[in-house]
This record gives sequence, C-alpha cells and structure tokens, in this order.
Amino acid sequence: MKKSKVIMIVGALLLGGLFFLPMWNITLEAPQYPEPIGMDIYINKFADAHPNDIKNINIMNHYVGMKDIPEVIPEFEIFPYFAGGMMILGVILGLVGKRKLYLGWFTLMVILGSIAMYDFYLWEYEYGHDLKETAAIKFTDKDGEPMAYQPPLIGNKMILNFKALSWPRSGAYLMFLGMAMSVFAFYRDKKESNE
Amino acid sequence: MKKMILKTMILLLGLVVLASCGSNTQSEGSEAAKVAETHPLGQASVSDDVSAKNILQVAIGSDAHSTLVAAVQAAEIEHVLVNAGPLTVFAPVNDAFAALPEGTVENLLKPENKQALATILTRHAAPGSFNVEGLKKEARKGRKIYMATGDYLEVEVDGEEITVGGAKVLATIQTSNGIINVVDKVILPN
Amino acid sequence: MNTYKKIVGYALTLSLLFIAGSCNQGGGNGGALGDSNAERVYVAPGEHDEYYGFVSGGFSGQLAVYGLPSGRLFKVIPVFSVDGEKAYGFSEETKPMLETSFGTVPWDDSHHPDLSQTNGEIDGRWCFINANNTPRIARISLSTFETEEIIELPNSAGNHSSSFVTENSEYVVAGTRFSVPIPQRDMPIDDYKGNFKGAISFISIAQETGRMNLDFQIKMPGFDYDLAHPGRGASHGWMFFTTYNTEEANTLLEVNASQNDKDFIAAINWKKAEELIANGDFETMPSEYAHNVYDESTQMATSTMKKEVKIIDATKYPGLVYLLPTPKSPHGCDVDPSGEFIIGSGKLSASLTAHSFTKMMDAIENEKFDGDAYGIPILNYDDIVAGVVQQAGLGPLHTEFDGRGNAYTTFFISSEVVKWKLGTWEVLDRAPTYYSVGHLMIPGGNSRKPYGKYLIALNKITKDRYLPTGPELAQSAQLYDISGDKMQLLSDFPTIGEPHYAAGAPASLIKPNQLKLYKLEENNHPHAVKNEKDTRVERNGTEVHIYMTTIRSHFAPDNIEGIKVGDKVYFHVTNLEQDYDVPHGIAMIGANTSELLIMPGQTETFVWNPKKEGVWPFYCTDFCSALHQEMQGYVRVSARNSNVPLKWSLDGE
Repeated sequence: MKKSKVIMIVGALLLGGLFFLPMWNITLEAPQYPEPIGMDIYINKFADAHPNDIKNINIMNHYVGMKDIPEVIPEFEIFPYFAGGMMILGVILGLVGKRKLYLGWFTLMVILGSIAMYDFYLWEYEYGHDLKETAAIKFTDKDGEPMAYQPPLIGNKMILNFKALSWPRSGAYLMFLGMAMSVFAFYRDKKESNE
Repeated sequence: MKKMILKTMILLLGLVVLASCGSNTQSEGSEAAKVAETHPLGQASVSDDVSAKNILQVAIGSDAHSTLVAAVQAAEIEHVLVNAGPLTVFAPVNDAFAALPEGTVENLLKPENKQALATILTRHAAPGSFNVEGLKKEARKGRKIYMATGDYLEVEVDGEEITVGGAKVLATIQTSNGIINVVDKVILPN
Repeated sequence: MNTYKKIVGYALTLSLLFIAGSCNQGGGNGGALGDSNAERVYVAPGEHDEYYGFVSGGFSGQLAVYGLPSGRLFKVIPVFSVDGEKAYGFSEETKPMLETSFGTVPWDDSHHPDLSQTNGEIDGRWCFINANNTPRIARISLSTFETEEIIELPNSAGNHSSSFVTENSEYVVAGTRFSVPIPQRDMPIDDYKGNFKGAISFISIAQETGRMNLDFQIKMPGFDYDLAHPGRGASHGWMFFTTYNTEEANTLLEVNASQNDKDFIAAINWKKAEELIANGDFETMPSEYAHNVYDESTQMATSTMKKEVKIIDATKYPGLVYLLPTPKSPHGCDVDPSGEFIIGSGKLSASLTAHSFTKMMDAIENEKFDGDAYGIPILNYDDIVAGVVQQAGLGPLHTEFDGRGNAYTTFFISSEVVKWKLGTWEVLDRAPTYYSVGHLMIPGGNSRKPYGKYLIALNKITKDRYLPTGPELAQSAQLYDISGDKMQLLSDFPTIGEPHYAAGAPASLIKPNQLKLYKLEENNHPHAVKNEKDTRVERNGTEVHIYMTTIRSHFAPDNIEGIKVGDKVYFHVTNLEQDYDVPHGIAMIGANTSELLIMPGQTETFVWNPKKEGVWPFYCTDFCSALHQEMQGYVRVSARNSNVPLKWSLDGE
C-alpha cells in the first residue's frame, strides 16, 4: 500500500481518541484554591478534573446567579456520530486513495470544527450572561452593565480574582494531528505519483 | 599607579566583605549573650517581691550566712536554691567557714575551683523537707539523709541537740521552697 | 614577574569572592543554616515546618500538635476531655468515646504520647497517649488527627508508665503507677505490703486497622511503676520499667519511698509472656473495662463493656521478669537507638546509670542473681552496669538520643539539659532551661532512627518568661538546635496544659497521608442524607429526628414547625460539601450541649430539648463563605397540646 494511503488512514483513525480522551478543558485558578478547580469536556460528557470540581464550581458560581453546569447537553447526543462518521469516512477515502478527497476531508473537518467552536462559544456566552435575577451578589462592569462571567473561547482571562484557562486537551490534539496528516498525505501522494 | 589603585580597591573591598561577615557573627553572639544577660542565674534572676522568700532569698538576708552566700554565688548554683524543691539546706554560719584551715575558703572561691566548691555546697542540700521533727523522726527510725551529691548523712539526737553529719543544728527556718537548718560546721566528706 | 603578580592578583580576587560567597550562604538560607536564631526558627508565610511535634496536654487531657521549628500550634486534638469547639463528648457520635466502667468521665490527665513504629522506626500511622487518672489508652489517627479508639485498663491506677509502643507496633504497653488490690476489694490500707499488686498491660495493635485489644496483664509486686521504654534491636522483645517505692510504703511516700538506696528497673520478657499465654499459663479474671471505637465509615463511636482479662502472675513464672537495681527512685527509663543501653535516671540522684543489655543477658544466662523479690530474681548491680554519668547535674529525669552516639538528659533541680556521650559517659555540654525542665523530645529520639536536628525541653515553670496572665501561667517548650557540638537555645513557646512527654516526626512521614474530606458516597452514617431532596423531619412519639443538610450557604430545611415543648429533638446534620476546608457549624439557642463542627461529607448529631414556646433560631458557627451570616434558620416550638402540624421547608419548597 502507498505510504500516503497509510498516513491518511492513520490520520482518520486518530479521531478515535475523542471517544476516550478529553477534548477541551476549562480551569479556574485563584489564591483560595491551592489546587485549581476544573472541568474536562469530552464529546459526550463533562467531567471533574479533580473529584467534585464541577460541584464546587457550581457552589461558587451560584452566588453570582450563574446556573449549574448541566449534566447533559443535546450536543453530547450528536457529537459522537459526527466524530465516528468522519473517522469512517476518512478511512474509506484513504482506501480509495484519491488525494483530492484527502483535502476535501480536511476541509470538511475544518468546517465541522468551526461549527463546534461556534456552538461552544454560544454555550459559554449563555453560561456567562444568563444570570438569575435572585443572585446574592451582583457585580457590574465599568459601564454599569451587569458583569458577565463568560470563560474565554481559547486562552486565559481574569474574571474577578479567578484566572480562567480554556485550552484544548489530548483528544483535540490527536484530532489536529489527524487533520495535519490528511494534508501531509495529500502532498505525499502527489510526490509518489510524480516518481 | 593604576595598578596601585586597583590593588587598593580590591583590598578595601576585601575589608568591607570581611567586616560585613564579622558583623553577622557578632549579631549571633549578641543574641546568645542577650539570653544570658537577661537571666544569668536562671530562675534566680526572676524578680518577685510578693512571694514568700525562698531558700536563696532568706540566706541572702541573713548576716550570719554571708560567706555561704558568697560561696553559692562563686559556684554559680543560685538557681538550684530557688528550685520548686522541696529542698532542705544545712546552712553553715560564717563562723563555721572561718573555722576551716586557713586559706581553705579563699582557695575554694577561686574560679578554677568552681566545680569543687559546687560539690561541697551541694553536699549540704537534701531533696525533701526535714525540719526538727523530721530530723528527729529520721534518727528514731535509724534512717540516714540522702544528700543531692549521693552521700548519706547520719542524724543523731541527744536530748534537744540534733547533729547531722557531725554538724549541730542551731536553728530551723521554713522557706517557700524548703527548709534551712542552720548548722555550726561545714560538712566535709568522710 | 608580571605573570606572577597577575596570578597573585587573581588568587586574591578569587579568595575574596569565595569569602563573600560563603558569607552570603550563611546569611540567606534560613532554617538551621541561618545565622541568627530568629531566622533559624522562622517559617515564611505559606511555608511548612520540617517536623510535627505531638505534645501531651497534661491536665487538659488533650494532645497538641505543633510545628517545629516554628513552635506554631496547629490543632488541639481532643482525647480524654470534652471539647465544645469540636463537639467532642457532646455530639451523639462522640459521647461513647468517654465511657468507662465508672460511667462517663469527661476529663483526664494525658501524659506520654508515642508514635507507631515499623522496624524500630516511626512510621507516621498512629499516635498513642495515656490517661493517667482513670486508666485508659487512646489511639489517634495521623491521617484524620482524630481520636479513633480508647481502651480502659482494669486493675491499673494512675496509668503513668504508659503508653509505649514496641518496635513493630506489636503492643502499646501501659503500667500502673499505684499498686492496688487486684481484684479491687475493701481492705485496710495498712495491709498494703505484700497484698497490693501492680498491673502491666499489653495491648495488641491490629496492623491494618490499628484496633487495640487488651491481650494480657502481668501482675507484678506492689511497687510504683514510673516510666517505661521498649527494647529495640537485640533487646527487642523486652520492655523496661522503672520502679520506685520498692519499700512498699502506703503513706508519706516523699520520705518512706526514698529509703532504699536502689530501686529497680523491671525487665519484662514479653515474648516469654506470649509463650505463656499460648500454653494457657494464665488466669482469666472477671473484670470490667470499656472499649470505645470510632468507626470512620459510620462516623459513630460505640462503647463496649469487656468482661474479663488474662493475668500472668510474674512471681510464678521464672524467666518472665528480672529486676535491675538502679539508684534512688529512678524516673525516666530510656533505651538508646541500638537497644544496648538502658538508662535509669535516679531522680534524687546526681548521677545517671546505664545498664548493658548484653551484660544483663549474660548475668541471666549464668544465673548470677543477688536475691529475689517475691520470687523475681534480682540481678547484681555491678554485673549489669555499663557505665555511670557522674555528677551530671541534680535531679535527672529523662533521656533522648540524637543517633550520633550522644544522649541528652534533663535535670529538674539544676534546671538544665546535659549532653553526654554513650560509651564514654562523659559530659559534653550543658544548657540551662527556663525553668525546671521535665521531659525532653528529639523527633524519633526514642526509636532506632532519631532525627537529631532539634530538641525541645518541656518546662514546668515559666514565672517571668512571658507576659503574665494572672496567677496561672503558661508552661513552655524550648527549642534547641543540637546539630552542632554545642546545644543552642533558639526559641521558646508556651504550651497548653502541662506538657509531659512529646513525640516528633518529620512532616514528610505524615503530610502525604492526610485525609482532606469525607467522601459523601462512603458516608454510612445511619442518619446521613446525601442530597437536599431527602431532608425531612420525622416524629416518633416525643422524639423528633431532623435530617438536615448544609451547603454554602444554607441549611435544608431552614424553617421547621410542629415541634413541641418537651420533645427530644435530634439534629442529624450532613455537610454536603466536597471541597477541602469547608466545614459548616450549627448551634441552637438554649441547647444544653455544644455546637457541631461538621467536616465536608460528615454527619453529626446533637440533641435539643426545647423548653419554651416560641420561634427559636439556629445558625452556622463556622465562617464558611461570603454569605455565612445568611446561613441561619428557625424552629417553631408550640405548646405540648397544640395541633401545629410537623412541617419543614427551604425557600418555601
């Protein structure tokens, strides 16, 4: 089998990591938490970074009127199908071995990924802005507007005395690697055809 | 010339470094010194004019015991006599020291004989409370008195006269941490 | 020539740099390397101490935990006395811990903490401590820092030569101070001699759980048993006890018990005792003693009354006990790290006696005895003595070791710690204490592996050492650096109660095992509720059970109605938090008991007897959160004959 095909197939299979590795993580650091508290996001669940972290995030956030982090969201129902589908599609394309299809797979991944990130942003916005009227503590920003507690999409951000960190985790890195391999497979195939 | 300046500077730098080092050592010394200064005599340094007087304070207040007090001070064992006790001290009067062979006291008061002096004085102290009644009881029961040095002293009663290790008890004073039995002789080892 | 000058120049510069460097090293480094005493005991904010110090609370009945070298107090662990702060002895869960065969005893006098050992080295699992007055031994977990178990000792009185742990934590050993009639009976005190006996208790320790069991007692002659330490290394399997009042006096002991020139160190061969037990060579005596155990799973203590004890009569079995003559009412009984030397401190003496284990075994083998006491062989002093530290001070009490061949002994009357050398018996150094030192402690100083960096002297008298606080003054611990040739006094700090003995351990042995919270899912308390939905109030006649939860920052329920005057109301409160260091408290107005202080995931219970009609508040006592002050609730109490229905709610739901 051509090496490019192998690379494409392996790249697509790397999406399998999403089924058991965390995709994303949000961590909160503050002086009163010597061990930061955080949440891992999988394609089908939210999980404690350390035992009871989500519970403790909820306890802390309820004072400013933030809602509890939901145990399930609708996305958890469909994400696994997309991930699984794209993995199978990638393997099939690899077996077919047409290099333009590799690029097509890559492009589709970018589009789907962007949609997922947009969805993530919307959820974060909702989580950070939709506060209960009965909140015990109501902060306002410097314009006098109610303060928002939206975590960053990606990167670090100070929210009051908390530093919120939002970064991809191993599942996502494997996915990025798989996507890169599909592009690499494209060029490799080109080179192999020229030889 | 330049070299000279350089050398001088190096030397000066050296002195500064050494001096700063020196001051560190000094501060350590002075800290230790501070502890010693505030309580050179241990518990004997505690100033307290409310409590009943202890053995040391009573002895200091007695003109007849100025030699004993001087000896205690020379041996630096004041803190033993202010201890919670109970202690019984057989306190020889000045005349008892004067009766020793000439030069003995002077010799013992020399700094190099501090330890020997301390041992002699400690032989005059017993753990426990032995007033006149107590001493008579010991004699009656044929018991010897165990002294802080580990020696045993025999108590003898002849009518109203009590002797301990050969020294006659002249008076008995109750103090806050024990008993002083004033005696007429320095009790020397057998 | 020029080259030569250059070399000299460089050398000079280099040496100056070296001096400067060494100077900095001394100055900047803190800890014991710092060059001022202040720096050497300074532990910067957020930094941790190098050692834990477990210091007995004396007549407070508790155990205090300090950091060394800083001397900072971290926790007072309630052991033998009630503690309202921690609801110890007040909560339904902990009340059974203070049960005895005499009923509830709310106070005691705690003396000698000792740590569990493995292969003769401290292992950071448990701390044991004795109650002196109503004889008991407690085991404290070093992962929760809570008292987990207390066992009462029958036939014992003034449980002083306790609690000392053998080299592999096989036993914690406890000896009686007073000899008493065994079994207790009505008899004239004057008949003491020959009729009163001393009981030495061997309490086995289950290695997995730490559970204690009174395996057997050895019935000894009617002396007073003062202190003890286990053999180690070659002398493992032996236990050594100092005795006084071998005169067997029963009055004015200060005189009558000071008559014999020598009392004894009793050497007990407990391996031999185990054989006797295995062979059935013991008497089973009816007895009554409480065994109280706190179960971490149900978070409840239970008290069981035991009914009998196995007794071995020391006078009947040759080879079980030997008596080692030791001068003048020896107090401390300390065994050096090698296990060869047994040090007896004659408290009325000016000298210290060290016995040799090798010589002792040799004398036993050759049956070189110098008479007997009630059939127990007395060895010949000259045959067994290894050396004497002559005229070391006045009133020696206790000795610890640094693991470098040196020993440190306290002298009460001359108020000092004296450093001397094992083997040569020469005095190396002396340092005054302020004032009148009792025990001393070097971390691991009574094990095979001492950590000989610091020594603390535990003083009985402070007089003018601190800001005065009326007639009753603090007692103190003084910290010495013993890493060099000379002892250096670094600091002193006040202690709770009267510090008798203490035990110390490197923080690294204990810190990693800390329990941070109780897991809710592992909470098997019969009255626990694990979420707010299950909170409720149940009535059973006049008994009312409130199943309540706490979480930042509210109680559930927080409005309760239908309670009546004369009810007995149980508050079973579960802290639903699962976050480190978020306890909640609860206190009820007029409750004839203490607050509760409930750790995350824990359930505790207090009883309230409402006596007056009205609406009575309760609140959280531990500043738990920003809205702590909002954490409160009401209970409506109606007349006995009222018809107000039982009702409970949180936020109207």
